[in-house]
Amino acid sequence: MKVLSPSVVAVAGALALTTLVMLAVGVDPALAYPALVRGAVADGNLEYTIAAFVPTLGMALAFALPLRAGEFNLGGDGQLAAGGITAAAFALLVPLPPVLAVVVPLAAGTLAGGLVAALAAPLSTRLRIPAIVSTLLISAPAVSLASYLARFPLAEQGTGIAQTPRLPEHAHLPALTEAGYVTIGLPLIVLLTGLWLYADSRTVLGYEIRATGQNREFAWYGGVRVNRVAAYALAGGGGVAGLVGGLIVLGPPYRFVDGALTAPGYTFTAVAAVLLASARPVVVPVAVALLTFLQVGGQGMEREAGVPSQLTQIVQGLIIVIVAVLATVRARRGARA
Amino acid sequence: MSEFAAELVGVSKRFGPVLANDGIDLAVARGEVHAVVGENGAGKSTLMSILYGLHRPDAGHILRSGTQIRLRSPADAIRHGLGMVHQRFRLFPGLTVADNIVIGAEPVTGARLDRAAAHRSVTDLSDRYGLRVDPAALVGTLPVGVRQRVEILRALYRHAEVLILDEPTAVLTPGEADRLFEVLRTVAAGGVAILLVTHKLTEVLAAGDRVTVLRQGRVTGRFTTADTTADDLVHAMVGRSLPTPVPRRATPDAAPALDVRDLTVRDADGVTRLSSVSFSVRPGEIVGLAGVAGSGQRELIDTITGLRDGGDRVLLDGTPIHPGRDPRVAYVPEDRHARGTAPQMSLAENLLMGEQRTLATRSGLPRAAVRERARDLVARFSISAASVDVPISALSGGNAQKAVLARELSRGSRVIVAEEPTQGVDVAVRSRVHALLIEARDQGAAVLVQSSELAELRELADRVLVLFEGRLVAEFGGDATEAQLGQAMTGVSA
Repeated sequence: MKVLSPSVVAVAGALALTTLVMLAVGVDPALAYPALVRGAVADGNLEYTIAAFVPTLGMALAFALPLRAGEFNLGGDGQLAAGGITAAAFALLVPLPPVLAVVVPLAAGTLAGGLVAALAAPLSTRLRIPAIVSTLLISAPAVSLASYLARFPLAEQGTGIAQTPRLPEHAHLPALTEAGYVTIGLPLIVLLTGLWLYADSRTVLGYEIRATGQNREFAWYGGVRVNRVAAYALAGGGGVAGLVGGLIVLGPPYRFVDGALTAPGYTFTAVAAVLLASARPVVVPVAVALLTFLQVGGQGMEREAGVPSQLTQIVQGLIIVIVAVLATVRARRGARA
Repeated sequence: MSEFAAELVGVSKRFGPVLANDGIDLAVARGEVHAVVGENGAGKSTLMSILYGLHRPDAGHILRSGTQIRLRSPADAIRHGLGMVHQRFRLFPGLTVADNIVIGAEPVTGARLDRAAAHRSVTDLSDRYGLRVDPAALVGTLPVGVRQRVEILRALYRHAEVLILDEPTAVLTPGEADRLFEVLRTVAAGGVAILLVTHKLTEVLAAGDRVTVLRQGRVTGRFTTADTTADDLVHAMVGRSLPTPVPRRATPDAAPALDVRDLTVRDADGVTRLSSVSFSVRPGEIVGLAGVAGSGQRELIDTITGLRDGGDRVLLDGTPIHPGRDPRVAYVPEDRHARGTAPQMSLAENLLMGEQRTLATRSGLPRAAVRERARDLVARFSISAASVDVPISALSGGNAQKAVLARELSRGSRVIVAEEPTQGVDVAVRSRVHALLIEARDQGAAVLVQSSELAELRELADRVLVLFEGRLVAEFGGDATEAQLGQAMTGVSA
């Protein structure tokens, strides 16, 4: 109870406020909430929820990993797009046998995402441009470059749609469900999350990353090569984002569709989830699950009960506001004691 | 009307399980300098926070000139004529002295700030109390001692009749501290009651009229400084007398463990910070490093510890220091919060830094081993903490400092560099820290101690080196007087 309390307070408070908003705009909460739950888990919708959970959890890692070293990676969209288009290019242009046809594009996507994120490291350590600024600035051209590649050199000829051709059969991710939306991406990202949690709390690198994030001068004084650690953390985060891009492209509809990676807003939902978990890594997957549930459920609510899905975005927004307020209040109290 | 400007009567305050103040009575008269002393955690800060409206007492009350008052905030306290100079200054570096002083109570004509009137008031005040400042100077350009004067003037500008100073000399050089005490005498002579919170006993005896000693939230002694000795105060503070460590003053003739040869350091702007510094420290001796702040101590120590690349100018047992923190050098840094610890990390993780790779196994960094090492150090260095898993910021300053020493000394390094090793710790911890450094020396370590407290260098060091403007200007034996050291520190050749 004690561990979760700020997050629990935030979620409960946000739901209460949203209920008030529903009443104010004349929506019956007794209809809306069941519709929300059904939209997320019933009638085969669970598969969509899980399919959205995977990239959001991945992007949460992409933000949380550098954050532990004190670096804000807000360039998830750029790393995601770079990873996606690179994976698509490898799958389309390099003829590969089965298994490798999946592994190589994913590895290439990971590398591309990592490189895009790592660009921020020298800017931060040499020129003292904070990563929060540089990652965001680098993101826009990376997204545009991916978009250009998908529209021109890699475009599917003759359709006029901004997308690559469908990837060859070998490059399709093995599906775990009949509809094919849940792929081996799920166990892969869950495994990665587990590895990260383990590394964070009980490896030397995890310790050095946390020390760097908590007090960079302390870590430097202790002999930690802080610039290198921060660069690794940024590159690692970007790598996960690139991998997520590859997983999306190698899943249905098995092509890079311009805008399809960034439009669902995985990056910032993930940022919100990590902030909601407020510096407790084990809570990150729970927070991601909650926000994914709200998003997918919100769309179901709109379809079924005619309640605008913007209402669930209000819930999400309020959660973040309350978390921020609680964090500030706690910091103030801590400073006074 | 009461003879006392302010009285705290039966004040108690509890924070969770800790009874920080337990029925404290304290009265300060107009025109007196009243020192409040005690170890870290004795309840001094809590008591002063209550008097300044930052905390509300659980029991007891506050009288101002004999009338009971209730303080809900510092704003209330200011209205009742109470002023406080905090340990960390609360000034705007980009504003002038006059603007900083009048802020919150500016003289105005219509809606416009009357700068001329502000300057006049500041000049009047500084003349009256002999606190010389230039009202037009930017605060950011002033030395620390003058900034503190600005803080005092700000309180006086708001008609403070009771002035609280929290550890005011922690940031000052010995000369600046002496000037501060003169200023306090003048201000007190003008009828202001002064509460001086400190743990430096020489200051108490030099500057105070009366002393109240706190221990574990209670008053354990009230003295008049005229007929009190430092021993009486120590006894009241820690409940027993402390043994005075007697350093060994033999010059060992072994080969130097640390050898600095003709070291010159320029900063990023090309300014020379150290020029041609050469000295050595032998195993089994403590060398003191004196100098006013900013004389090159930072650069010298960063180079010796390997944090700054010194090429082959710094040798350890004949081989150059490895850049990026050499494990053969133990280093107790001056700033515990910024450099010596990560305040939000646990005590165990703070004690781990530097040893994380030796404790690692193939499967990572086992938590059990990290905790076990921490528990061992906690026991060996008698660090008092609820557990090794609490954040180190939850420890008192003295215990946090013991933790830093424990971490650094436990590595058995050949060379030990300690910067201000007893800054902000109480007398009991101070004597413990000194004992640890002396023990390390007797076991054959070469120890370099940098301190702005000359008494500390005289107590500890077998030799004292003096830095002035980046040059080594003097070397004394351990028996140098403070006057000799003070002269050398200010560039007067000995």
